[in-house]
Amino acid sequence: MANHDVIVIGAGLNGLVAANYLAKAGKRALVLERRAIPGGQAVTESVGGGFQVNALHAGGQLRPDIVSDLELERHGLPTSVSEPLVSILPDGRQLRLAADSDEQTLASIGTLSKRDAEQWPAFVAFMNEAAAFLDAAYRTPMPRLPNVSLKEGWPLAQLALKLRRLGPKDMFRVIRAMPMSALELTEEWFESDALRAAVGAVAIHGATLGPMSAGSGYTLMHNWLNRGGPGHRRVEGGVGRIADALVAALKSRGGEVRLSADVKTVLVENQSVLGVRLKSGEEIAATTVVSAADPRHSLIGLVGAVELPPEFVWATQSIKMRGAVAKVHLLTDGNHGLPKGTLVIAPSIRYAERAYDAAKYGEMSKEPYLEITTAGSVVSLHVQFAPYALRQGNWEQLRPVLERTAVDIAARAFPQLKSSIRQTKSLTPLDLERTYGLTEGDLNHGQLILDQMFFMRPIPGWSNHKTPIDGYYLCGSGIHGGGGISGAAGRNAASAILKAK
Amino acid sequence: MLSTLELKRTPFHERTSRLSVTQNWRRWAGHIVLGSYELSLEHEYWAIRDGAALIDVSPLMKYMIEGPDAARLLHKVTTRDILKMPVGQVYYTGWCDDEGKLLDDGTVARMDEQRFRMTSAEPSLRWLAMNAVGLDVKVTEVTDRMAALSLQGPKSRAVLNRCCAEPLDKLKYFRLTNTSIGNIPVSVSRTGYTGDLGFEIWMDAEQALPVWDRLMAAGGDYGITPCGILAMDMARVEAGLFMLDVDYTAATHAWIDGQKSSPLEMGLDWAVNLDKKGYFVGRRALEREKREGSAWKLMGLEIAWEGLERLYADVGLPPQIPAMAVRGSLPVMHEGKQVGYASTSTWSPVLKKYIALAHLQRPHYEPGTSLTMEVTVEHHRRQAPAKVVKLPFYEPAWKKK
Repeated sequence: MANHDVIVIGAGLNGLVAANYLAKAGKRALVLERRAIPGGQAVTESVGGGFQVNALHAGGQLRPDIVSDLELERHGLPTSVSEPLVSILPDGRQLRLAADSDEQTLASIGTLSKRDAEQWPAFVAFMNEAAAFLDAAYRTPMPRLPNVSLKEGWPLAQLALKLRRLGPKDMFRVIRAMPMSALELTEEWFESDALRAAVGAVAIHGATLGPMSAGSGYTLMHNWLNRGGPGHRRVEGGVGRIADALVAALKSRGGEVRLSADVKTVLVENQSVLGVRLKSGEEIAATTVVSAADPRHSLIGLVGAVELPPEFVWATQSIKMRGAVAKVHLLTDGNHGLPKGTLVIAPSIRYAERAYDAAKYGEMSKEPYLEITTAGSVVSLHVQFAPYALRQGNWEQLRPVLERTAVDIAARAFPQLKSSIRQTKSLTPLDLERTYGLTEGDLNHGQLILDQMFFMRPIPGWSNHKTPIDGYYLCGSGIHGGGGISGAAGRNAASAILKAK
Repeated sequence: MLSTLELKRTPFHERTSRLSVTQNWRRWAGHIVLGSYELSLEHEYWAIRDGAALIDVSPLMKYMIEGPDAARLLHKVTTRDILKMPVGQVYYTGWCDDEGKLLDDGTVARMDEQRFRMTSAEPSLRWLAMNAVGLDVKVTEVTDRMAALSLQGPKSRAVLNRCCAEPLDKLKYFRLTNTSIGNIPVSVSRTGYTGDLGFEIWMDAEQALPVWDRLMAAGGDYGITPCGILAMDMARVEAGLFMLDVDYTAATHAWIDGQKSSPLEMGLDWAVNLDKKGYFVGRRALEREKREGSAWKLMGLEIAWEGLERLYADVGLPPQIPAMAVRGSLPVMHEGKQVGYASTSTWSPVLKKYIALAHLQRPHYEPGTSLTMEVTVEHHRRQAPAKVVKLPFYEPAWKKK
């Protein structure tokens, strides 16, 4: 019968991390990936046109404990470097922000406001504390409210203790900041609108939120944690190399990754998992199946609503996905004129909020918030907002508008860019869904909003990686710990599965 | 805007309202129907047990469930094996939340391979829609569009044979047929809420009155009697049939877990098909309960006449029993300790017994167990001796024949 103890659906970072932890514990793990390349969202590949790009994420890093637990450095984990965030202002000035409060950063902020420059190191310290708290929270199994058992309450008590150790004042500040908007939060620290906007841009990156949205205080902490500061961590050789290291590590532990193995159905009988059926019709049996896909697809799509309790189906259908991110990748002749770093076009709070406003009404931003990264002659534009659910038209019709708008906005700051472009390849939210399997184009597998976090992620009562199907677990970004490149959800899922056995 | 606050009238209102001496209107699912037509329930009750009683049951919630996955939807929602249900069959069934606690009960009729009619006491559209996710099925509420009459009693078949296009002699218990009454298409199911021989007749609300008239005319020789829901209430207790909101609380309406009941606790073991294929709502919990045994059971309670007589004799009275079913909780004790409660109690004219539907705690629900039930004798609470019996209390030979 089965040659595998565990099947993992999806070779994204969370799936590969979960498989590695399970393999490390002696399980025979088989990872099934529908695409011909591992990495999920963290891929370096051609999106058409033959030039390699970091398709969805310009950078990223796994949590340090995962790197050491899985000995990934031994398996070729690429090095990564923290880049400063550089906000491009309309007058051509560049606001440079680094997490280590170096002299350049302080001088740069100082040209806007001396007071803000003095505040910056304390702000960074606060953000680092908030991130440390989130990091602790993301490794703490969440209780299944409202019925918390003693067993579930214990890790939570430890988390409370950790929070307490921040000191009463900081603890209060962290908790208070979560439901706040990024604007409200930054207003308390800084007087410069441009600085507030640059920090606000970090808050809304990847989320369908504006800097004035409640809860963008939390997404700021979340993104700060995953990036390790305001700017991306650039990965030598491309983000795809992280997945390569995880695949190598998994193989060394006796695990297997099968590419182009598209799971169509999770086989279930009487609320117990039996295995999976691939698109090809092939069936693979397993008593434990872990899905790294988003929770809605994992449950409604792969298992099917008819096998699941109606309240559970209702809650799963109600997970808010609402992706609003698009990518435009440009191959240039090299004379694009852009500096290195994580470049941001969100010069004012008003600009960023207006960009988000469009998404609320199902329209693409006329003046989107951009995050621009370069790798040699390749320029990648991360574009917000481009809502998956359009009020009018469809994404095939809007693709030229997306490409033109993004390039126009970037070219305002870098006039050389336009003439340097040789090829333009874009990913609309529909491409994110079709090519990368992200329901509604949501990078986070469920928006990182207050009613979908901690014990309410993916849905209330099911924050423990389990599902109503015995032996079927969730380990993707839509689960507590997830959202962003970190591997936390995969690590947590593996430990939940190993504990359940 | 008084009209929006008014309770609805049934399609038979024009007839029933004129026949009622009492104008004893009762609320039923947002409608008014007659509790009784006459001053005493005797005549209407005995029509059920000895003749033919015509009861307006139009307020029942009614749903059409149609499409390639209609059977799968009902298989998921109910505790019955709908995938194996033949066309023309009617099932009585409860349905549960995922904790295996009853939400409602009613009937499911398979009209066709891909077409079902479901009745319920509570509005069920949302629950059906929630369960229909991912299924190719259409659910339509037809409560107001469809009128329903219940013709109950040993003479009901003879009456129907006089006015239906085809004789119903071959229509078996809990089966359904399509026929016509005076050229009006009707479907007739051999079902009811009395435990007697009986039929329910389903028709377009627009054509309700001629059907009533035909039945009343044809039934004259058999003493057909318009019957209100109070006499039916007595008959249904004799038949061991329980009622939502009276004998159990829907899990969605319960304030606390203790108010909820599972179908196994309600004695519906026979209607919980744990051997059926696939998931259905509440399956896990019901399997567990079946394995571990139910903490409660709905059972029959027969109050010993001699004991009752003695309690009344103590104050110099003959036994006094309400002349209708009492929907009020009465404590049931074992050696002075409460072990349950009666949810409906009634005098049974046909059995000449004082009976009750009682929720009893393990181990006191075994048939033959001696318990006591509270009776109020001349303003004093007393305990009358009683015996646990299986349901139903009354089952005439002609019910299923």
